[in-house]
Amino acid sequence: MTEATGHVVEARGVSKWFGETTALDAVDFTVTPGVVHGLLGPNGAGKTTLLSALFGLVLPDEGTLRLFGRTRAEAGPGWLDGVAGFVETPRFYPYLSGRRNLAVLAGLDGGDAAALIDQALERTGLAGARGRKVKGYSLGMRQRLGLAAAMLRRPRLLILDEPTNGMDPAGIRDLRTALRQLARDGVTVVLSSHNMTQVEEICDAVTVLHRGKIAFAGRLDAMRADAPDPVWRLRTGDDGAALEQARRSAGVKAERHDDGGLVVFAAQDPMDEYVLTLARDGVAIRGLELDVTPLESLFFQLTGEAGQPGETRQTPAGLFIPPARPDNVPVTEEVP
Amino acid sequence: MSRRLAAGAATAVITLLTLTASGCGSTGLTAPRLQTSLSSTFANLYVLQQTEQGNPKPSAASLKSQASCQKGGTPDIPQDGSGAWLCQITYLVAGPGYPVIAKYNVDVQTDGCYAADGDGPASVNGSPTIIGPHYAQLINPLSLIDGCFDTT
Amino acid sequence: MTLAADQWPAYAEPAAGPAGPSDPRQRSGTLVVWRLELAKLRGQWRVRAIALMCLVGPFVIVAGLNVQSATPGDTAFGQWVHTSGFAIPMVILGFGGQWLLPVGTAVVAGDIFSSEDHFGTWKTILTRSRSRGELFAGKFLAALTFATATMVLLIITDLLAGLLAGTQPVVGLGGQLVTASHATELVVVSWLSVIPPVLGFTALAIFTSVASRNSAVGIGVPVVLTLAFQVVTLIALPAWGQQVLLSTPFTAWHGFWEQPAYVGPFLYGLLTSAVWFTLCSAAAWLVFRRRTIGGAS
Repeated sequence: MTEATGHVVEARGVSKWFGETTALDAVDFTVTPGVVHGLLGPNGAGKTTLLSALFGLVLPDEGTLRLFGRTRAEAGPGWLDGVAGFVETPRFYPYLSGRRNLAVLAGLDGGDAAALIDQALERTGLAGARGRKVKGYSLGMRQRLGLAAAMLRRPRLLILDEPTNGMDPAGIRDLRTALRQLARDGVTVVLSSHNMTQVEEICDAVTVLHRGKIAFAGRLDAMRADAPDPVWRLRTGDDGAALEQARRSAGVKAERHDDGGLVVFAAQDPMDEYVLTLARDGVAIRGLELDVTPLESLFFQLTGEAGQPGETRQTPAGLFIPPARPDNVPVTEEVP
Repeated sequence: MSRRLAAGAATAVITLLTLTASGCGSTGLTAPRLQTSLSSTFANLYVLQQTEQGNPKPSAASLKSQASCQKGGTPDIPQDGSGAWLCQITYLVAGPGYPVIAKYNVDVQTDGCYAADGDGPASVNGSPTIIGPHYAQLINPLSLIDGCFDTT
Repeated sequence: MTLAADQWPAYAEPAAGPAGPSDPRQRSGTLVVWRLELAKLRGQWRVRAIALMCLVGPFVIVAGLNVQSATPGDTAFGQWVHTSGFAIPMVILGFGGQWLLPVGTAVVAGDIFSSEDHFGTWKTILTRSRSRGELFAGKFLAALTFATATMVLLIITDLLAGLLAGTQPVVGLGGQLVTASHATELVVVSWLSVIPPVLGFTALAIFTSVASRNSAVGIGVPVVLTLAFQVVTLIALPAWGQQVLLSTPFTAWHGFWEQPAYVGPFLYGLLTSAVWFTLCSAAAWLVFRRRTIGGAS
């Protein structure tokens, strides 16, 4: 792709100020080809500003930005060729139908984009609503239309800002599959989120942004190695005995939770060992779920946004997804 | 943003206009220009009037029409600019001719166009209509004269 | 409603060549934008309303003049409307030209940029294959096209309405009788002469639309300015002060109907219109070129 560095996206020392506010502070941001790259941070961290800068919607005050190895000045009008996506909620002409909106955008793109419209609508599940005016679309439908609009461009770099906003769980699952598939076919995806769990499931690499600065950048496996132990919620037939057993088990820390049951801090292997031991000792396991994933813990540490592990219910709204997601993560351990 | 811009634009326009309004320079609306235009337009329209009334057609040049205009009807104010002017047009009729004086109240506009309202003699410009052939009522071209002159 | 996830990769054929566009740019981007904007304009009710007014307006006026004997006073050619049809287009131009034409163009030009702000769609169209320059130029061109097309339509219908009312010779502003063929020329040339200031107002409305990001301001400021010019015109300005105003070129056509005809005001008006046009377009582009799109903060 990029002859010089091999990066699809390469931002060096990018800063942006809005009046007194520093939105981006000397940000270095690189994305390698064919990965799904998560841009993570709490609300207001500067994610949207950075993505807007990639699209040229916001012009950085300092630093250089390259897409496929070319700066905006070098690339000229072709700067966004092969790049698609959206920032913030996708917006369309409300007085036109979904299909007409895509036709306008395809007209701007030229080429065979217009021929892809119906496919795109079908594949984003909007075929039934194609004739309806966009003003009647729900947030989730607009997100889908945004995806459809992006697909018309046959992107090699797909930039999505909080694409799961307003989507139902099924939609999120489908999106995940689709993005993984795109990545396998060589499309590079950059997506922003304030939700570590989602990023963890979809992304290969991640950049954590906090107050306009890079807090972490690297591959997800490298991040996992740095991450603290996950946090588990455990309910047993005899919490006292379970606490006692935790004290004897290496790599396991447990304490009582205010709402009953235990909060256990342990990596996967010691946790397996601990649970098996409890079972052998005749302590019934009534419930076990992953409360905070290791990366979530790390994310909270990096951004300083959350409370202590085990108290995630008290974290600011939106930072944490309630654990009602059986298909997302292995939340139950096999208990013999 | 928009308010500041609007305010800025308004200030700029007002400043510019105040400067121009108070500034030096002629309006270009001068007595000689008005006189030249009015006398020649009058001559043309006199010819038209005579033709329409079925009289022999004089030539405009033979009238030797000459206008004399004063702003406000007095020489005491600057003889320049838009507003009310009083004009007298002297012209010669028929053959060796004798001079006739036609009077007009002229309203001069800033763009160099004027409307000259006939103020006598009644037989020439007093009546808005004239009688044409077969007793047809026609507009008297000399009653109200619209004309313009170059101010640049 | 689900995302048919497994079918997506059909799109993801990596384009051949290094950073090549996914499609070759067959046409100039500006023209692409221009065509799309014209299509959008055609769908707007106000554009249709203006077109309809241009189409039937002159005929309605002729019909109105036919049923009453009074003549519109206080304007050149006013007393001749019942004598010759050629007086009618000139009365319309003298009466309505200075404010009706600027308002007509501002209604479209003052909205063509800010409507994207209103719908939040700048980011949608700026993330396609067209640069800011192309979008700016295409939209600008579309507004100019609308203004010019409307003027041409109005010239045609005005002339037709006039011819319909009568082709007798008309009394010119020099008192001379103007024959039908020459009068036809003068009507057309007079109307053509106001196109430059109309385009000046178009650029002005585009600037206010870009700067304010608000259609009410974008349309309102040029309209208010039109009225302000009218008021200011009443003040005794020096000749050059009068020439600075964008309303003055609307009266330059009077010289064409004089004997001898003069074109000084028209040439100065051309200069005035060009200066306004250039300043407003340049200012609009400067504001638009580096603006931050969206609520990124």
